[in-house]
Amino acid sequence: MAYTSREAFFAFRRSPLLTALSIATIAFALYTLSVFGLVWSNIDRVLESVEERVEVIAYLVDGTDPAETSALMREVAAYPEVDSIAYISKDDALARARAELSDYSALYEDLEANPLPASVEVALRPGYRDAEDVQDMATRIARFPFVEEIKYGEDWVQKLDFLQDLSLFLGVVVGGVFAAIAFVAIGATINIVLISREDEIAIMKMVGATRSFIARPLVIEGFAKGVVGAVLALVLLTATYSLLEQRVVSLEFYSPLQIVAGVLLGGLLGAVASVVTLRRHLAAW
Amino acid sequence: MILFQNVDKEYPRTGFALQDVSFHLRKGEFTFVTGPSGAGKTTLVRLVTMEERPSGGTVRVSGYASDRIRTREIPRLRRRLGIVFQDFRLLKNRTARENIAFALEVTGAPPEQITPKVLRTLAAVGLSDKADHLPSELSGGEQQRVAIARALVNDPFILLADEPTGNLDPKVALDILRVFKDINLRGMAVLLVTHDRTLLGEHPRARIVELDQGRIVRDTVGGGAVG
Repeated sequence: MAYTSREAFFAFRRSPLLTALSIATIAFALYTLSVFGLVWSNIDRVLESVEERVEVIAYLVDGTDPAETSALMREVAAYPEVDSIAYISKDDALARARAELSDYSALYEDLEANPLPASVEVALRPGYRDAEDVQDMATRIARFPFVEEIKYGEDWVQKLDFLQDLSLFLGVVVGGVFAAIAFVAIGATINIVLISREDEIAIMKMVGATRSFIARPLVIEGFAKGVVGAVLALVLLTATYSLLEQRVVSLEFYSPLQIVAGVLLGGLLGAVASVVTLRRHLAAW
Repeated sequence: MILFQNVDKEYPRTGFALQDVSFHLRKGEFTFVTGPSGAGKTTLVRLVTMEERPSGGTVRVSGYASDRIRTREIPRLRRRLGIVFQDFRLLKNRTARENIAFALEVTGAPPEQITPKVLRTLAAVGLSDKADHLPSELSGGEQQRVAIARALVNDPFILLADEPTGNLDPKVALDILRVFKDINLRGMAVLLVTHDRTLLGEHPRARIVELDQGRIVRDTVGGGAVG
């Protein structure tokens, strides 16, 4: 064990340039990946908050019997897709309009009769908020004869659907490509390290070192480089974040748990890339 | 010890490197393997270290058979062999003493045993005063002595040397041969591959296995009968 850890950290002193190069590669690869992740998760968060506002509004015919209204509400509330349901009376609607459009409050003063209809607002559970489900819900509610009109923002629900699909696609594909590039870049630098030590590895084989004995310090070295690279990437990312935050737009940063996971992921990436590269070097015995 | 039974080694592109080679090396024997370049001498060494497996026949080394040994057993076999090359193969950034200690460290020797063993082995090859020199500060003959010490330090049963004097001038070559003879006198078997016939004359009692185009054309035992 003493040998293993000494060898693993000896590398930093023995070939500082090569070590710095591989750490920089790892840092840059992880930085690119994390910037993408940050942008993606923020876009996704925005889309999610928009999605939370998806609702179906049923405007009722004036003079609808309150008993019929509450029958509708009981039935609709029992649908599994429904998160919450609320009755907005004519008076509520007027009060809301006055509050929301305070600049135009004059329009609503001195009204002889309240022109706004009563309505039922139906909020949907997460997972039931895409265009198809919303449309389906609207159709079912529209069957009640005293429902005059249904609104659910048809075109923007469809746009939101599209944006969410696009965001998922970009997240998986572009994120996957960035991760693959990071992996290959890390593997390539570790390959250079191994080529520079081919003589040493040949001598180790000759004097009877086992495969795991040769591999262990190199895998630990890969892990350590991955961790250092990830920390470096984090420093760069924090700087980028505060710059964006100050100058452009407010973003949500990674949570502490995600940061720890990211640093460990860097180490894991370094270790796995080492193992994969080592397999080639240690194939012949 | 080492037993070759009807061993063939064929390479896909270059054809047979060895054909129907059989011999038996006994404990404590000093054997020269000789022949022109391309005769198959290095292939023979690589079969002993199991870097290569025969295309036909069997190689047996210290209880391990070429047709049955598993890859993970090869390190254990190598620890029982001391291997020396023409180009020394020392680690350039480590001193003589560290190069020798390296062979013990990688085999997991207890740390407290390493220093005394290294110093003893350095003394055995006559290099006690150069322990802390880097290879670049040593002459060719001295570097080869360090390589021999590294081969010896794990107490192998045989010392395998592939053209160990190939990079050295004739006088130094004889010094190195003397080191091998001394080691052999203490009971260790030596298999020394060389194309240099003058070396053979320096050790008339040694066995000579001569190869030509992959076949054994002469095998003397104790400098005597042709086998």
